[in-house]
Amino acid sequence: MVDKVVELPVTIEIPVGPQHPALHEPVLLKAYVDGETVVKVEVNTGYNHRGIEKLCEQNTFYKDIFIIGRVCGICNTVHTDVYVRALEQILGLEPNRRAKYLRVVAMELERIHSHMLINAVMAEVVGFDTLFMSIMLDREKVMKAKEILTGARVMADYMMVGGVRRDLSDADAGRIAKLVEQVRERLTYYKRVFEEDTTITKRLMGVGVLKRVDAVRHTLLGPVARGSGVRIDARVSDRYDAYDELQPEVVVRGEGDSWARMMVRWDEALVSAEIVLSALSKLPRDGSPVPDERKLPRKFPPGEAYTRVEAPRGELTYYVMSDGKANPYRVKIRTPSFTNIVNSAFLYEGYTIADLPVILASLDPCISCMERAVITDLRTGERRTVPFTQLSRGDKAWRGRGFYLL
Amino acid sequence: MTATLAQAGGFVKPNRRVFTLEPSRVRSVFLDLVRERGQEGFYVSTIVGVDLKEEGLIRVDYFVVLLPEEETVVLRTAVPRDNPVLDSIVDIVPGALSGELETHDLLGVLFQGNPYLRRGFFVPSDVAEKGVYPLRRG
Repeated sequence: MVDKVVELPVTIEIPVGPQHPALHEPVLLKAYVDGETVVKVEVNTGYNHRGIEKLCEQNTFYKDIFIIGRVCGICNTVHTDVYVRALEQILGLEPNRRAKYLRVVAMELERIHSHMLINAVMAEVVGFDTLFMSIMLDREKVMKAKEILTGARVMADYMMVGGVRRDLSDADAGRIAKLVEQVRERLTYYKRVFEEDTTITKRLMGVGVLKRVDAVRHTLLGPVARGSGVRIDARVSDRYDAYDELQPEVVVRGEGDSWARMMVRWDEALVSAEIVLSALSKLPRDGSPVPDERKLPRKFPPGEAYTRVEAPRGELTYYVMSDGKANPYRVKIRTPSFTNIVNSAFLYEGYTIADLPVILASLDPCISCMERAVITDLRTGERRTVPFTQLSRGDKAWRGRGFYLL
Repeated sequence: MTATLAQAGGFVKPNRRVFTLEPSRVRSVFLDLVRERGQEGFYVSTIVGVDLKEEGLIRVDYFVVLLPEEETVVLRTAVPRDNPVLDSIVDIVPGALSGELETHDLLGVLFQGNPYLRRGFFVPSDVAEKGVYPLRRG
């Protein structure tokens, strides 16, 4: 008489990545699926580890500014800003107000183009390529504005200890303001598209729902956390640079799904446009924002600093330790994507393969996977799990009991 | 938390309070944090390991952000360089996972009780196979 059933879930392993698994990071998502449903996701990292923290230990504090700009192309000004502010903390230096305002303008332009990029990628992921092209075309205006300000579309190398590396003329400030006003109109339009278009709402709403408590416990940051109702923003809490005067409105939504995360990004881009326009309209005139790089201190006193910045993807932190020598003793970089990718595999479970790129584009997860079998006792309905290793060992306890394999 | 832990270690610039603690107390401090502030009352922002070769120590700093005021505090502990073992906190605070994996792979700190620890998480396999921890001081 058969009284127990061994249920072996037939899971198929589907590699997503490591080449362009929806986002730019070369990361491999090993998805284990049961039919169409994702049951586990395992994240394999290490395809792009360049040893930048070690490289920083082997170069001087000033050379590191340019190395750190290369950590991430999309958000290079926030990386250099947070590192440069850590150095300023160690040195006890403070840039003037004009430099602080210009830093904010550069970082907010970066936030606009970063959010436009990720929303465009999301449109592409759900198969709406026209929208992708259209957003990318308008994004070029922001890149142009950033070029006018910093001298380069992408790799700005704009921040320097004690200020920034280029001043902005009044004529150029007007050109940037004009571009940002044009972009603001388009942002409002795209926001409406994401609210009203059925392709977008059908694919994004209710997909990858993240509860508030899970967002906090798993250190999920930035728009991901704010889309789940967590009110965090380093610009408001740390008030670095000119954010003491240019206070941003924190955009928070309660839905917690992929759609909410994208809508948070559209609203934040609109807030950023306001900040840029307001900063440009009242640029302080307290001297040149460009420090004389020949007169910057060559020696760094021993000390340590931990600075935070609200990067487009969330809280970005740098820890810099100086032991009084020419090179930093330790530089620790924690990017928001690091926790958003590694800590969040639980979000995929229960959704379909087609949802996987959508959730991935709206954030990114990790969980280690253990193959296992579920034992169902048909008499009591009790289910318990047994590792494959134990089954394959052929334990005496399992022999001759008349199991059915489902 | 201030009830269970006296601030002794000064500040990390700018004004991040530092609380030093024995390595054996790490778990109990995080359990206290959960009890006092709740699951939504804080998050572990990052774990920073520093190899202090001259002191023969590896210093491990937990940067914790207290919510809703978003204040960053530092919980600082140190383990001997020749036997860097700490208790894992991933079961209490799952957000510490990425930090523990990284600190293990790059500095060789063993977080007891973390089932996901492995070499080669970041470091290329040829370096990991040699048993080299890249961020250790030479």
